[in-house]
Amino acid sequence: MRPYAPAEREALEELVASLGGSVNRDGGWGASAGLLSTTEATALASLALRSPSSEQSLPDIEPALDWLLSRQLRDGGWPLSDVVPGSCWMTSLAVISLAGMPRSDHMQRAAVRGGLWLLRQRGLGTHWLLKVMYRLNLVPRTESAVELDRDLIGWPWTAESFSWVEPTAYAVIALKLRRPQLPLHTPDDRIDMAEAMLLDRACPGGGWNYGNSRVLGEDLWPYADTTALALIALGNRSTGVTTEGLQALRGMLETNDSPLALALGILAFDMYGRDAGNLRERLIDSIDQKGPPGDVRALSFALIALSARGDLFRFDIDG
Amino acid sequence: MVDRRTFVKSAAAATLAAGIPGCRPDADDRKWNAAAFSRRESSTVAVLKAPEYDHRLAEIVASGIRLSSLDPSGLRVVLKPNLVEYDPEGVINTHPALIAATIEAFRTLGAANVVVAEGPGHRRDNAYLLTASGLTYDLKNTDAAYVDLNSDDVREVRLRSRYTKLGKLYLPATVLEADLLVSMPKLKTHHWAGVTLSLKNMFGIVPGLIYGWPKNVLHWEGIESSILDINAALTVPRFNIVDGIIGMEGNGPIQGGARHVGALVFGADPVAVDATCARLMGIEPERVEYLREAGRFLGNVRGERIQQIGETPEELTQDFELLENFASLKSSLVG
Repeated sequence: MRPYAPAEREALEELVASLGGSVNRDGGWGASAGLLSTTEATALASLALRSPSSEQSLPDIEPALDWLLSRQLRDGGWPLSDVVPGSCWMTSLAVISLAGMPRSDHMQRAAVRGGLWLLRQRGLGTHWLLKVMYRLNLVPRTESAVELDRDLIGWPWTAESFSWVEPTAYAVIALKLRRPQLPLHTPDDRIDMAEAMLLDRACPGGGWNYGNSRVLGEDLWPYADTTALALIALGNRSTGVTTEGLQALRGMLETNDSPLALALGILAFDMYGRDAGNLRERLIDSIDQKGPPGDVRALSFALIALSARGDLFRFDIDG
Repeated sequence: MVDRRTFVKSAAAATLAAGIPGCRPDADDRKWNAAAFSRRESSTVAVLKAPEYDHRLAEIVASGIRLSSLDPSGLRVVLKPNLVEYDPEGVINTHPALIAATIEAFRTLGAANVVVAEGPGHRRDNAYLLTASGLTYDLKNTDAAYVDLNSDDVREVRLRSRYTKLGKLYLPATVLEADLLVSMPKLKTHHWAGVTLSLKNMFGIVPGLIYGWPKNVLHWEGIESSILDINAALTVPRFNIVDGIIGMEGNGPIQGGARHVGALVFGADPVAVDATCARLMGIEPERVEYLREAGRFLGNVRGERIQQIGETPEELTQDFELLENFASLKSSLVG
């Protein structure tokens, strides 16, 4: 691991202190300090806090891992929080977090069960009746309003709904990390289709928003955070779409100083071997001038990005 | 997504209804708990001229609140603007200057606490959206707190109507614990629902962390149905201030064109406020499906039940451009 520059070290210390200071008594994290612990925030914070330099004194993440392990449901998934029951999209983040832990049978088994739960979830496709109507030209294509391939299935935010970019990206990352432990062909089939879905949902001109590229004949524009997540999930695939996505991301980040966007941008560019030096400097400046972000997700991704631990999302690290 | 679902549902319903003699789809279709709602006999709506987003706004907003006989002294007020997306060329969001003016007005009138809260429907990255839209600047200047409703703590709320099959919703504690919830939409057309005003603005209180972005569950359940169920579920006292200084016409709520109206609309009854706004847009409110339905139990939609104060709406009425599929909403006054 490369040595940190002083400003970088200072920013990392601030991020660690802020994250450590916002942990809840139950060991988990909420979306921001003072809010009830959620699986997403706890998974990301515990992932981030294992990343910085060994010179730093890090908060103990064992209570966070205990929080995660104790919340896993019988079906293998994780709920959003203690208030909102039922397995949900945040399962992907719990799997990612546990997958990155040093070998521990208990945690690895939990992550595999989470991966299996993910494989049982799918976004909804085209209703059979509508497929027939399209085929018979009973519904004009313009009436469909959005222009995307509805047969490409990824992961939804909630059961019984459509696939979207962010939950699909997290699920793809989680399954790639767990692929060796999952049933032989199923993960590959799902990952392949989800990647095809992501490629299909790219905006004209490159990049991704929440998951619609055109509505009622009008182009929609991409967002930096979802573009970076989609690129990370696609995992260094070299296609015209990812190249356009990287260019679009670079352009978006010229006018976007959000710590979350900068952090995810760094991770995406690192993954594709592109220069992210300028983004690092801007993220460090932002932390220096405005303080660490209050949002635990942004805080966690900033910590992972600045500590150059994008490898936590690289799929070949887990054998 | 929504139109497919709606299409399939309505096609199936129409087919079934057509096959059963005497069955009309609209027969005895009351979908709310009658005991839970008592619609007032009449509602008051104030329309005030506000030509620009300038320093006079705070006084105009305070006048609108006073005219509406609302006394916010001692109340914890939550302002819920419409902040859904950002387009440097567009007029998507409630203008930050109006939000700042409203914070100032409520404070002047004695509110104990005023916070701004929103759960943007498209973008999850609040830091970007707040900064790009200019709201960060105004929040800093007014020293007001912002709550991201997409990730706030939530409580389970049983629905009091059955337009969707949701049965319950998880809603943000910040909203449920407010003494006064102020819906502050932009005056806009909407390419799925016809118009988006005080009632539709409540989509933003549905937390994205649970329901996702772009809150697709609500689309699958039907936008109109969701608007009705969400609004019917809220028991917190409400007030509405509509940003009609510059509205959006055509392909709203994101990609429509700007339309200067130069008005702010105030009132406690969101249905009456929205009906008045629709009239300002040259739209007959009872032709907007969800407004007509809301007028049956949530508030007043018919002109004779709305006492207009301030400016005469007819004098400010404009002929908003509508998408072809909503052409039938046009009021005969402008059409």
